[in-house]
Amino acid sequence: MFDIAAVAVTIAIMITMYRAIKGPTIYDRVLAGNAIGTKTVILLVLIGFVHDRPHFLDLAVVYPLINFIATIAFLKYREMGRLD
Amino acid sequence: MDIRTIIAGVFLGIGCFFIIVTAIGIVRFPDFYSRLHPAGKADTIGQALVLIGLMVYEGFSLISVKLLIIVIFIFIASPTATHAVAQAAFLKGVAPWKKKKRDKK
Amino acid sequence: MIDVMLLLIIVVCAIFALFMKDLLSATIILGIYSFIMATIFTRLNAVDVAFTEASVGAGITSVLMIAALSRTKRYEYHYTKLQRRKPSALFLKVISLLLVIITGAVLVYGTIDMPEFGDPEAPANKHVSPRYIAESEHETSEKNIVTAVLAGYRGYDTLGETTVIFTAGICVILLLRRRINT
Repeated sequence: MFDIAAVAVTIAIMITMYRAIKGPTIYDRVLAGNAIGTKTVILLVLIGFVHDRPHFLDLAVVYPLINFIATIAFLKYREMGRLD
Repeated sequence: MDIRTIIAGVFLGIGCFFIIVTAIGIVRFPDFYSRLHPAGKADTIGQALVLIGLMVYEGFSLISVKLLIIVIFIFIASPTATHAVAQAAFLKGVAPWKKKKRDKK
Repeated sequence: MIDVMLLLIIVVCAIFALFMKDLLSATIILGIYSFIMATIFTRLNAVDVAFTEASVGAGITSVLMIAALSRTKRYEYHYTKLQRRKPSALFLKVISLLLVIITGAVLVYGTIDMPEFGDPEAPANKHVSPRYIAESEHETSEKNIVTAVLAGYRGYDTLGETTVIFTAGICVILLLRRRINT
């Protein structure tokens, strides 16, 4: 059950990769990157359940945080033109 | 089969459906602003459904509390990030999509 | 199945990050690459490595690259056809290709001697690990074996690493400090 779900999420990541590569504007790529980052969290949790080692969850708690920081830093750069 | 496993499977199925629909939507929608809809809403609900399914499977323990924390964080962070992307794009002047007249069939 | 798909995504990411003319897009794609790579590390049961890869690769590195791009230009320098045809440019290209091929060949040659993944007869599993498992609590009075190895047996190593990271942090702060516009 969990491995089927994990494969489904991986397929979703592969489909989203198309937009991350092709995306006409830079914002499309940021959006796709954000979506892939949050899908990776789900994939990580599912892999933890497949291996029957749910303490992988500690990693999954930190993942969305990192993803969020990267996205916000990027957008700050695009808005201000600088990071300081 | 345990009833809890069945409920978890149903949640997982619906969640995976939402996630794949999100991916297709991000690829197929015509412009940036319409792509915000799958990325902001459907993605969040799909992930929440998958994690709730896992919570039902796990029962009440420390693991399900951690899963709950992830769900809450994703519910806050994902729409915020999407909103920030939309605002940045709008301020930089990404033009919204309009239906083109069919000149060449 | 998942492994093959994840590795496929990694290869696609790497190839398209190379071909991007827009360096910001390449940074985003490298961030995705790091996330998938961390998932692969988790799949191989190396959670601490995955932790480092996710926080350093996807978090810090993309922020630092964006900071670097904000000080330089966003697009790659575009050579004209005339510049590309010059003999010196061709010579540089050939030399760099040769260097890359030689380095790759040496790295691949290094992996030949390595024992198979998860081999119980490997020297690392036969000599070092049992000693750490048996003695680490007695010798360092630390219950977590990973912590005992990192902060006890390899204490000086970790001290050096921390110094390097601290220096890097100071450099980043110096580079990014607020300047008065003149």
